[in-house]
Amino acid sequence: MIHAPFDPVTLAVPFFVLAVILEIALARFRVTPSNYETRDTMASLSMGFGSQIAGLLTAGAAFAATIWVWEHRIFTVPFTAWWGWVAIFFLEDLTYYWFHRLSHERRFWWAAHVNHHSSQHYNLSTALRQTWTGGVSGTWALWLPLAFFGFSPAQIAIQKGISLVYQFWIHTEAIKRMPAWFEAVFNTPSHHRVHHARNPRYLDRNYAGILIIWDRMFGTFQPELDEEKCRYGIVKNLGDFNVLRAAFHEWIGIGKDLLSARSPREVAGYLFGPPGWSPDGSRETSATLRAQWEAERKAG
Amino acid sequence: MQTAGSAVAVGVLIAFAAWAKIAKPMSPLTDARARALMAEEFPGRPIDALWVATDGAGALARSGAAALVLCEVGDGYVARHIPWAQAVASSFRDGVLRLDLSDVAAPAARLAFDAWPPLGAEVEAANTKPAKGRKTAS
Ligand SMILES: [Zn+2]
Ligand SMILES: [Zn+2]
Repeated sequence: MIHAPFDPVTLAVPFFVLAVILEIALARFRVTPSNYETRDTMASLSMGFGSQIAGLLTAGAAFAATIWVWEHRIFTVPFTAWWGWVAIFFLEDLTYYWFHRLSHERRFWWAAHVNHHSSQHYNLSTALRQTWTGGVSGTWALWLPLAFFGFSPAQIAIQKGISLVYQFWIHTEAIKRMPAWFEAVFNTPSHHRVHHARNPRYLDRNYAGILIIWDRMFGTFQPELDEEKCRYGIVKNLGDFNVLRAAFHEWIGIGKDLLSARSPREVAGYLFGPPGWSPDGSRETSATLRAQWEAERKAG
Repeated sequence: MQTAGSAVAVGVLIAFAAWAKIAKPMSPLTDARARALMAEEFPGRPIDALWVATDGAGALARSGAAALVLCEVGDGYVARHIPWAQAVASSFRDGVLRLDLSDVAAPAARLAFDAWPPLGAEVEAANTKPAKGRKTAS
């Protein structure tokens, strides 16, 4: 099957709207501790709206590539086989983990992902602060192996949609902890709060989509600690609520750095080094911030 | 059709969020609060002297050869450091200091002060005299 018979994300939009209304109402009546700043909310929702439009620009090429790879597949997974859905649930989620890790650890892909983290808030509107430049960054290619194995383009699209919908509800401070067994296996509000935090100890942790098991397996898991409250945003927060700034600031930063690069090594470092890489090490990266924090903790 | 529906939903949600008034509570910075925020933003950088903006919407600190800048944005803050000499030479007009942060993510900061550069800023930070405004040395 090539075209998905339904799109989980489209189906979920009414639920997104109602959930945001519920979260705001609960905070308004002081039932839960969520915060919404109007201009921040406007930026997040505009980015979500804009990403739907921006996605159309590259969706065709990505889809065509998926079909081409699928036509050269090594196996065929029937769309209706139950085991196929079990397999793609795990394999797509593993793909997401590495996509997400790449998006944080290498600047070129961070430039496309940073806008999702550029809010100093953590609420359901933050979940909708989606990328405008993910398509041109080419990360969709990471899902091509699924088509090569024989999962149909429709099945891949549906599972990607399910993952996105799952990740919506975890963007909230309204839920403190889920039951322990759930926290052990699944990505949760608590785990993803850590992912959105800029505290040095929390940087570059919890890349999970649906299952937190990948972070536990690959050494990037960090539980949320009661003694260290999450401070949200990016290491260098944005100076205003301009959505164009949120969408493009890191790309512009890359462009400026490339103009000043003096060697192929510097070009490579500015493009594919960790965010914050600089030839003389004068800027901060997650690793240096974490090391500095560790040193201070030991000294203190 | 769907796009128009989404646009309407976005408008409704923004209006609802505005109505709820549930931004983080903000109050003008005190000296202690500014120091706590600076410590979070610039771990490992000792503060030689600190000036809180007259409206409490930001602060500027000297840390050796660096100026640490903290500026209110919405219900949060944005922080950057720039060379101290550049901060001292920044444009100051009508009680507002305009700092060029040289960063597309946060190009400029504006801080309200009674005077700039602060009295004593040119000499060694350790023996600065009290400046006009709310400057305190540590
Ligand atoms: Zn992320
Ligand atoms: Zn997120």
